[in-house]
Amino acid sequence: MTELALAVPAAPAALAPRRRFRLMRRLVGHRSFQIGLVLLVLLTFAAILAPLTGIDPSSMKVRLRFRPPSQAFPFGTDGFGRDVLTRVLYGARVSLWIGFVVALLSGVIGALIGVLAAQFRSLDALLMRIMDGLMSFPAILLALGITAALGPRMESVIIALTVAYLPAGARLVRASALVVRELDYVLAARIAGASPLRIMLRHILPNSVSPLLVHMTFVFAYSILAEAALSFLGVGVQPPTASWGNIIAEGRDYATEAWWVMLFPGLAISLAALGLNLLGDGLRDVLDPRLKGPG
Amino acid sequence: MTMIGRRDFCRNGLALGALAALPLGISPASAEPKRGGTLVYATVSGPGTLDPHVSSSAVELEVIHNLFEGLVALDNQNATRPMLAAKATASDDARTYTFELRRGVKFHSGEEMTAADVKASLERYQRVSPNAKNLADVEAYEAPDPYTFIIRLKQPNVVLLDVLKTPIFPFMILPAAQKDKAAREIDVVGTGPFALSEWVKDSHLVIKRFDGYAPDTSAAGRDGYGGRKTVYLDAARYRFIPEATTRIAALQTGEVQLASTIPTELRGRVEERGDLAVRQVFPVGGTYIIVNSQYGLTANVLIRQALAAAIDIGEITDATGGINKANPWMSFPNTPYYLGETAPTPWYDQKDPAKAAELLKRAGYKNEKLIIETNSNYQWMRTTMLVVAEQLKAAGVNVDLKVVDWTTNAAHMQQGTGEWNLSTTLFGPDHILGPQQWRPMIYAFPSIKGNDALDGAYKEFFAAPDLDQRRAAWLKIQQQVLGNAYMIKIADSGRLAGYAKRLKNQSDYPGILQLWDLYLD
Amino acid sequence: MLRLITIKLLQAAPVILVVSILAFLLMSLLPGDPAVVIAGDQASPEAIAAVRHSLGLDRPFLERLGIWLLRLAQGEFGSSLMLNQSVLSAMGERLPVTLSLAGLSLAITLPVGILIGSIAAYYRQTWVDSLVMTVALVGVSIPGFWIAILAVILFSVVLGWFPSSGYVPFAQDPVLWLRSLVLPASMLSLFQIGFLARMTRSAMLDVLSQDFIRTARSKGLSEWVTVGKHGFRNALVLVITAMGILVSTALGGSVVIEQVFALPGVGRLVVQGIMARDYPLVQGVMLIYGFAFVAINLAVDVLYTLADPRVRYD
Repeated sequence: MTELALAVPAAPAALAPRRRFRLMRRLVGHRSFQIGLVLLVLLTFAAILAPLTGIDPSSMKVRLRFRPPSQAFPFGTDGFGRDVLTRVLYGARVSLWIGFVVALLSGVIGALIGVLAAQFRSLDALLMRIMDGLMSFPAILLALGITAALGPRMESVIIALTVAYLPAGARLVRASALVVRELDYVLAARIAGASPLRIMLRHILPNSVSPLLVHMTFVFAYSILAEAALSFLGVGVQPPTASWGNIIAEGRDYATEAWWVMLFPGLAISLAALGLNLLGDGLRDVLDPRLKGPG
Repeated sequence: MTMIGRRDFCRNGLALGALAALPLGISPASAEPKRGGTLVYATVSGPGTLDPHVSSSAVELEVIHNLFEGLVALDNQNATRPMLAAKATASDDARTYTFELRRGVKFHSGEEMTAADVKASLERYQRVSPNAKNLADVEAYEAPDPYTFIIRLKQPNVVLLDVLKTPIFPFMILPAAQKDKAAREIDVVGTGPFALSEWVKDSHLVIKRFDGYAPDTSAAGRDGYGGRKTVYLDAARYRFIPEATTRIAALQTGEVQLASTIPTELRGRVEERGDLAVRQVFPVGGTYIIVNSQYGLTANVLIRQALAAAIDIGEITDATGGINKANPWMSFPNTPYYLGETAPTPWYDQKDPAKAAELLKRAGYKNEKLIIETNSNYQWMRTTMLVVAEQLKAAGVNVDLKVVDWTTNAAHMQQGTGEWNLSTTLFGPDHILGPQQWRPMIYAFPSIKGNDALDGAYKEFFAAPDLDQRRAAWLKIQQQVLGNAYMIKIADSGRLAGYAKRLKNQSDYPGILQLWDLYLD
Repeated sequence: MLRLITIKLLQAAPVILVVSILAFLLMSLLPGDPAVVIAGDQASPEAIAAVRHSLGLDRPFLERLGIWLLRLAQGEFGSSLMLNQSVLSAMGERLPVTLSLAGLSLAITLPVGILIGSIAAYYRQTWVDSLVMTVALVGVSIPGFWIAILAVILFSVVLGWFPSSGYVPFAQDPVLWLRSLVLPASMLSLFQIGFLARMTRSAMLDVLSQDFIRTARSKGLSEWVTVGKHGFRNALVLVITAMGILVSTALGGSVVIEQVFALPGVGRLVVQGIMARDYPLVQGVMLIYGFAFVAINLAVDVLYTLADPRVRYD
């Protein structure tokens, strides 16, 4: 078994060290990727270092409500006299976390479903029809329905967005898995008697990783935007927990007066989504060189 | 036979005299009201139903009170005055009420309103209205002739006319043909000065002047919800605009001439325009923290009182914005049951976290979790509870804030179900109408059970033949309710409305929107 | 052709079934007892029991699913509790608004998105490309409701170019109809334009690098003619491919945009339904949208085959 497996040509996904190195170098040299990475790293650091402001994000000084940006409050204060900077930093934790978990969960579960569908033809029709069914609902509407039913909480938002973004990942992985499983070396492995599970784990999954990774990056960005939209509609993360979406939602009535409450979290969302989109563009260009970007 | 409510009617007469003099004295002769034009009014959301018998929400009542009328109505001084009735008399034993109806009053359909319609309407009310228990003592309705209507009661009720004037779940008169219609399924036909013209739910609603309207000529002018109503507008168009920014934008661009619920901070933004102004609609209700006396920690009266001691009213009202005035009582100033300046309990607006912590310790509090429940639908409720949570944290309470939707939140409060200790809500006309209107709320919301002092005080209230005795009973009731911190009063609250200055002659009466007597210059 | 449509229809049938079951499952996600919710906050236990019975909530799960599917088969999409109206007629009243909004938004998106995407591809690796693509990127990165609120302040209040809110039916006044929708539709288009431009650029780069373009160029044909001619066909395929996603995101995005601009469309209906816990309404709307998308995807597949002869279903 082992001897025979050795005869199988090396799978391209188990990248030879040199190729991996080349890819890394091209990624690092890619301008979109650079900008995106820097933005994301900065925002992540900001989120991690939030406690350094030394302010409790929910502590109120009602007397100091709606103070414009100043040295004491760089982003001003909101309607409760809470420091908007601190809340945006703590909000980063929630919003980025939601985006990350949704991207990860929908990616992993999607990959699983995709590979299962590709590998076991008996499941294919059933799984893919379910995915088609889910995809028939506009994503934000599906998420809205699910969060409304589950109650407005962070977990509901994560579950809802995962379900909404799951089918695209599953389809993607299935498509690339269908291509991979017909490749010579996979056929060879099968003939050599490798178990379906082994073929799945060793050959098919690794080969689907690149497109999935690109996809997950974009899902990360969409999820941050979707969380904000759900908060705006009143079914997102609920106070006192700060998320970028609900800071905007709470400040939106005062957009003309206390513009800072709405402006800064909005910029944070835009920067995060921008960073992730750039990162995704870079990844796609490098992993799929056919579609080279402007950088 | 004595006239019950005579005192009210008399006082009303006095008030009317004063009112009637006002417009003449102040306004110059040039301010002749103009007829015509359509008023566009931007409101937060639209009505779910225009069935008056089941309606308790402001957005619905804002339309309903312009379309329908009842036998009696709240006047400018919050007393009772006749509306569709010309006169109401009660028997000495307060068990028979006789209403003499005004003649020539027409429904929007053109038919004349008679005692048969009144009888059918009250019978329907008793069948469909959530407020029907207020008619539980009725033995019979009689309509001996088209213009006489009689209510016979099983036992005496001295405050029946006060019950009938309620502006929420109003006792509006519908054509008899509507009698068997289910709740929310009536044809919208009333006797009011406006008739429904067009209604697209979630979008807009248009009412137009009812040319067949028969005004109450016994009055000199408008008077609260009643009096002589004159319609100058051709029509009024309600537009439902949920976002405050958009609502104010519509006012600024001239798309609407009146906009409800302007956030306090945006007042200046409206007033900086020479053609726009802002006015206060105050008071529309009183806000309360509801304390669940049947669940966990807050079953203990000492804990409830300790929590009350931590509350700082000023912080809450600052954060919620709007118009708020501190008032420790459960009645508005200038209403019959308002009992004066001093507070009924020592617990109002203590803003003393240290004292609260001390009291909690004495009550045996051991850092158990206190659950605050609020909802995602109403921002001011959420804001209130967020501030309360912080204030209690400062007193060392282990607070957990849960946000659910309003339906769940409301059901939990009204039925005492669910796992929660504190929540919040607003009570409206109860503050005008007094103890009889308050009773179901007081027992339901904080889930008061087995308080003999409270039960006794209410018994005294209903048996008391004169107002002073009833006021004394009301003091005892409030001492029980607020003193034992079943409910914690926050403040009387109102809201700001923005309007174009060419909209003239708005009423100062802080009831819900009344479109009669208004005109566009 | 007929065979193709038949195959596609056969594939769509199970999706419709899945959509129906998913919408049913959504209702059963509700915590607690839906009967309590539906009967309202002032209902007696008897009223709740009656609602439970009339909705069949006291029956086993599979039986309820069966009844649900049977009713759907008869064209019953349920009734809204808050409107006292069937979901179909409620949708019918609001659909013109949402379709106007989404339609106008697509009418802006398609030309603009394809044009700037093509320009970027044509001038690839230049500053034009960078500029255009940065704009597109910003479009897909900004929260829609956020920019919409800022737009109301700028375009309605400060500049006074457009009304801030509301909807005028086309039949009443086409000019006012357009004026009432330009701002919301543009805001809705921002994301879509970004999305389509990015997609167009990739696809065009693909085309421009293909042999036939090189051949055409070497034959001395004007570059613009070649790109234009081949580009058009490819753009068509692209639009058809993107159509499903564009319509889906337009209808999804309209939920938020209708809320900001107070447009009485399906999106606001759903949001109001959720606030009022009108789950039959939410369920019904999702179901109808779901069915509509099955139909749209079916049409896309068929058109795709017609427009791109390389695609064949065997």
